[in-house]
Amino acid sequence: MGTSKPERYQNRIELLQGTLDMLILQTLRWGTQHGYGISQAIRSGSGEVLQVETGSLYPALHRLEKQGWVKSEWKQSENNQRAKYYSLTAAGRKHLTTAQARWNQMSAAIAGLMAPGKSEA
Amino acid sequence: MGIWKRFFGRRRDEDLDEEIGGHLRMAARERIERGEDPRQADRNARRQFGNELLIREVTRDMWGWAALDRLAQDLRYAFRQIARSPGFATVAVLTLALGLGATTAMFSIVNGVLLQPLKFRDSSRLFVVENVPPAGSTLTRHLPVNARHFHEWRTHCRSCEEVSLFQGADLTLVGAGEPVRLPALQVSFNFFRTLGVQPAIGRDFVVEEEGNFDKVILTDALWHSRFAGDRSIVGRTIQIAGEAHTVVGIMPPGLHLPSGEQWGAFVGPPAEPLIFRPLMFAPVRQDPSGSLNYSSVIRLRPGVRPEPATAELNALLADFVRQYQIETRIALTPLQRQVTRSERGPLLLLLGVVGAVLLIVCVNVGNLMLVRTASRYREAGVRMALGASRARLFGLVLLEALMLSAIGGVAGLGLAHAGLKLFLAEAPVAVPRLEEIGMDWRVLAFAALATAFSTILCGLFPAWRLARIEPQESLKAGSVTATEGGRKLRLREVLVSLEVALSTVLLIVSGLLILSFVRLMHVDKGFEVAQVITQDVSFLNPKYARGVRRGFLEEMVAKLARIPGVQAVGAVSQLPLQGDEWVSGLRDPDRPLRPGESATANFRFVTPDYRRAMGIPLKQGRFLEDSDQNRPIAVVSQRAARSLWPNQNPIGKHVRGAGPSKPSLEVVGVVGEVRGRLEQDPPMMVYEHFWRMQPIAMSFVLRTQAGPAPVAAAVRSLLSSADPEMAISRSRTMEQIVEESLASRKFETYLAVAFAAAALVLASLGIYGVISFAVARRTPEMGIRIALGAPGSQLMAMVVRQGMAPVVLGLAAGLAGAVVVSRLIRSQLYEVAPNDPLTMACVSILLPGVALCACWIPARRATRIDPLKALRFE
Repeated sequence: MGTSKPERYQNRIELLQGTLDMLILQTLRWGTQHGYGISQAIRSGSGEVLQVETGSLYPALHRLEKQGWVKSEWKQSENNQRAKYYSLTAAGRKHLTTAQARWNQMSAAIAGLMAPGKSEA
Repeated sequence: MGIWKRFFGRRRDEDLDEEIGGHLRMAARERIERGEDPRQADRNARRQFGNELLIREVTRDMWGWAALDRLAQDLRYAFRQIARSPGFATVAVLTLALGLGATTAMFSIVNGVLLQPLKFRDSSRLFVVENVPPAGSTLTRHLPVNARHFHEWRTHCRSCEEVSLFQGADLTLVGAGEPVRLPALQVSFNFFRTLGVQPAIGRDFVVEEEGNFDKVILTDALWHSRFAGDRSIVGRTIQIAGEAHTVVGIMPPGLHLPSGEQWGAFVGPPAEPLIFRPLMFAPVRQDPSGSLNYSSVIRLRPGVRPEPATAELNALLADFVRQYQIETRIALTPLQRQVTRSERGPLLLLLGVVGAVLLIVCVNVGNLMLVRTASRYREAGVRMALGASRARLFGLVLLEALMLSAIGGVAGLGLAHAGLKLFLAEAPVAVPRLEEIGMDWRVLAFAALATAFSTILCGLFPAWRLARIEPQESLKAGSVTATEGGRKLRLREVLVSLEVALSTVLLIVSGLLILSFVRLMHVDKGFEVAQVITQDVSFLNPKYARGVRRGFLEEMVAKLARIPGVQAVGAVSQLPLQGDEWVSGLRDPDRPLRPGESATANFRFVTPDYRRAMGIPLKQGRFLEDSDQNRPIAVVSQRAARSLWPNQNPIGKHVRGAGPSKPSLEVVGVVGEVRGRLEQDPPMMVYEHFWRMQPIAMSFVLRTQAGPAPVAAAVRSLLSSADPEMAISRSRTMEQIVEESLASRKFETYLAVAFAAAALVLASLGIYGVISFAVARRTPEMGIRIALGAPGSQLMAMVVRQGMAPVVLGLAAGLAGAVVVSRLIRSQLYEVAPNDPLTMACVSILLPGVALCACWIPARRATRIDPLKALRFE
């Protein structure tokens, strides 16, 4: 069963949802971007560590748009192609701040737990 | 939806296409810029992108209304699937409609009769008060209560808000048409107040009216049938039982009171009361050690538990127990439980039976769907390869099941409605609260729940099976000649086993019920049933004073004996099979009670020829005779004689009822046992001369060689010419009385057998379906076998063996299950062990026999396969 593609996609979406949303919103902070651009930005921004599955990216983008955190418009790209550009809304900006705060808190807590020897100190 | 979709959905779809297309182009361009070959770059970009269709679908899901869109699409698909095989759809929908309809109908009966609270105010505070029969007594039912005890409770009981007492009576209404006998209740003034109901017109009884027979309250039904709903009747006087009574009130329409033994221990006519008058307590009724002749219902104070109330009621009798050495123990039963007691077991049993039938229907439809989906594995594989998610395939099959169940459910509601009508028309009168049966929101909720349940049951296995397939495998294994995986085969067979097991249990249950019924029909009742006509008469009229009663009865006995064809005529205070009456402790006055000794007997007051007329065998001594006049003598039943004087000659001994006022009677004879109730062992019985007590209700008993109709007519005309004011009820033969006692059980047995037969048909349908399918799938294989010279008998044996394996398994499981289930219904069996070997053996032959027939038809088809055609079958 594990070899089948459909289920793998859906699992990924669920596992990564919160984090992926945050990463997308963070990427859009620097300006409007299209789907392909976002995936490339996350990849290069993370030093090629984070690969965004397109199977997760597009559902996430459409979900964020429905929630009102991003908005989209069709524009000409640098290569003179029509592409759908996403940009942050005010609500999205606000959401990003809280998500980021929570993320910082969590990663600090995890880092604290994982730091060797610290628990004995 | 259409317009919505046109404006937004289509645009969004195109948008998404374009967005994804853009993504792919950009990815490919970047690859080319990195130096990849353009054609290679395009393909790689797509590969990296993943399953485009699935991504598109998951993304579309995010829009929200896509789900609706998809549902409509799936519904259309499911409908097409169903429409493609109308035969299957018809069978599925019809059987589901039957299963759901029967279950829903049965539930509405259980809901109306057992579950709904009684329609009295705070009915959970109402309890029936009864005497528990003394230890060692042969009585198995509770006994009525004593009037003097009631006075004690009413005055002192602190747990009780109201204590009421009542007794049935047969009152004759004269005037306004033919004299008519009305089933009545004579009640303490607070009877209605206890129940929490009030007259709709006029007023309730008041305390001063207790003790006088001059006021009545009518039911709405009687008011309409006899007095044309005339309001001015309130305040007027009517002639009841020979006396003027003032109508003080009329009860509201739709008020149904329990009747007869629905009140628990009850003395009086079993019909629902139509008229009420206050109780009159004769001095003899004030003896605290005297007879138990009244029913009692109490209303507990709010918050009082029944246990302390029972203790208090018992404690209030402690003085009497000490003073009179009586044995008495009071028990409380919730009124609701008491009213529905007799029907509780049968109704729950029938609900269980129809539930099992529904289960079989669902398993059957599920199995047929499983078989059908098996031919769709390939299609499912293609869909999955094209990007359909497993969840969606799962949902598709479930949706199909839902469609079938929903159509079946709606049709089932119609069937339930019709079935209920039939039930209400055919139900034995003994079933309480029939008027409360109907299809309310609870029934509809139940039907919806049952439909959901059957959807899951029908659809789960095939859906699970379809969603589990591996696309590559199913595409590879597309050829029909490929043998199926072992697991698929097993699941179908497990389902067949399940059906067979359920049917086995149902068949055994109905077998046990049939056997109980037959045993009861042939049980020794203690008298000769055939050719006996009975006629009830009531002397509840002041013109029948004690002496008059005696004269009238003796004269009538003599006149009735002259009717042509009549061989013997007697009269008795209570006919056999009509329950306990005049129950009292039994003592030998010539010796002290042995420690632990306790005997309780029914007393019957008879005319001398009663024994001959009823055909009760004389065992010893003689019966009562005309010449005995007023001598204090009695005849006892064998059981009473054995209990009082084990291993001694009872003739010449003395007996008396408990209590100081009871006379001592010399025993002159011993007779055989007569059943007080069909289903119970005969009680101890004492027969006294009629003129000793001269009860106000008697029954004539005529043994006749002529047909019952002319004799009954002659009895009627003799009675009405002797007293034109006498209301004469319909005469009954003893055969009819036996039938009446069997009516409820007969009804229950019929229903159970009908459902078990339906289960058997369904199960064989299931077996047939599965084996037919297996044979069809193996047609090429069979063809090869035939071509290679396998004899037909061998092929048949092969198919039958395959078909019968799950049947045998299911039968074994069913027999084991039946042992458990039949123990649960033990209380409804009569002299049949729950694991009755005869029933088990019959079912073990019948069921495999039918299953064999179901296998045989497809097996036969297998032998007739034309090998040439079979090999080209592909």
